[in-house]
Amino acid sequence: MNDNDKKIALSVRDLHIFYRGLKKTSIRSSWMHLKDKVEIFEALKGVSFDLEEGKILGIIGKNGSGKSTMLRAIAGIFSPDQGSIDLHGRRVSLLSIGVGFNKKLTGRENVYLSGMLLGFTEEQIAEKEKEIIDFADIGKFIDRPVKTYSSGMYSKLAFAITAILETDIMLIDEVLSVGDQRFKQKSYNKMKELISDDTRTVVIVSHSLATIEELCDEVLWLNDGEVIEQGNPVDVLPRYTEFMSSKKKK
Amino acid sequence: MSRFFLNIKKYHKYAIRSAKAELKSEVADSYLNWLWWIIEPVCFMLIYTFIFGYVFHNKTPYFASFVFVGLTAWDFFNRMVKGSVRLIVSNRDLVKKVYIPKYILLLAKSYTYLFKMGISMVITFCLMAAQSVHLSWHVLFFIPITIILYILTFGIGMILMNYGVTINDLNNLINVFLRMVFYLSGIFYNINERLAGTLCFILLRVNPIAMLMNEYRNTMLYNQLPSFTWLGIWLVIALILNAIGIHLIHKNENSYAKVI
Repeated sequence: MNDNDKKIALSVRDLHIFYRGLKKTSIRSSWMHLKDKVEIFEALKGVSFDLEEGKILGIIGKNGSGKSTMLRAIAGIFSPDQGSIDLHGRRVSLLSIGVGFNKKLTGRENVYLSGMLLGFTEEQIAEKEKEIIDFADIGKFIDRPVKTYSSGMYSKLAFAITAILETDIMLIDEVLSVGDQRFKQKSYNKMKELISDDTRTVVIVSHSLATIEELCDEVLWLNDGEVIEQGNPVDVLPRYTEFMSSKKKK
Repeated sequence: MSRFFLNIKKYHKYAIRSAKAELKSEVADSYLNWLWWIIEPVCFMLIYTFIFGYVFHNKTPYFASFVFVGLTAWDFFNRMVKGSVRLIVSNRDLVKKVYIPKYILLLAKSYTYLFKMGISMVITFCLMAAQSVHLSWHVLFFIPITIILYILTFGIGMILMNYGVTINDLNNLINVFLRMVFYLSGIFYNINERLAGTLCFILLRVNPIAMLMNEYRNTMLYNQLPSFTWLGIWLVIALILNAIGIHLIHKNENSYAKVI
């Protein structure tokens, strides 16, 4: 691919996300505190970045810096309070564990439910069903209720569903380590295979710098809802490590 | 509004699948399985018929069918209202991880309740046959009445679902309210016989469930025409409630995940 046909897959402009307003309340307290000011917490304070098609972006930052909030915003679970997120018409999925699993039903039925929630049709899932079940590698348990699964089997099935049903933009929130050693290796390899696809754009949130360094083309460093730096992992990661260790000393 | 219909179209299949899954999982562990869907309403009907028919000497013709028609309509309304208040919170895992228009959750739930209502309807007809109720074409009015009942409860459900997210004790309030409506709706007594004047009018017309229940009975059991004016009025109100509900959900649904 040469530089001329770079396509932007994801643009985030001046993204603000607030947590406020819809605070949990009871009827009694809402009567008593009608005039109270609501506390506003700003999780993202004007984040902007672009991501080219096929690139793999790693998001780093300390706990509470707004990484997961941003992934959820991109996935459409939150809408931006200010600013915009443009996916340029691409399909997006947040790779997360066990979306919409009904524990009383069999694994196979849950494959369909989960897949349809991710926006796939029954036919598309039927096509991939075998591949998902093979990948999950949980044997006869696929036709048993999910509640009988061990936690490892549960995550294996969940991972298999989101990994095999591919979307244009994949958002990954620390799920590279599920299951036993063998499955971990397998899912890691699958992950690499998935994200090395030239047309697939990936955003990864991880605390494992080794993972980020190995997989990502670009790194976005968030701190308290603001972008500190975006750039090549080789440049950004050392400064990030230094920043984190200097904070520890204080 | 067009967004609502696009979403319904897009997620309709998911709603059906999810409803089926829910029904399946409901009976997966119980000993008598799906038989419960029949046993339960029949038992309640027997209890009410015994207490209010024999103990309180109710002379309403076809009393068992009378009670059963009422229960069928009531159960649907009751389940929808109760289910919708906690709907978002009970689907926490899903709401936090994937975007789905939130009324789809209600749609899926409503299909399971419609299914149960269908079973209940079939039993009603069996019971009517057993009591040799004289059937006429008026009985077909149960279809439009059910449609109005569905639209109305769906609208109410969306509004409650929206406020149920932020108001913790809405659930308690609704339970009290539902119990009140239950006794005021004349499920096991005939409002027309027991009350007269303004009170009767209010209970029968201003309370939509009593109104619809009364229309079900008039058409199905007593071969009468329904009151088209009142059905029309409540249909309009139901559509307005739906519009409000859709508006509320579109406005707030993206914030639900932040609260729960």
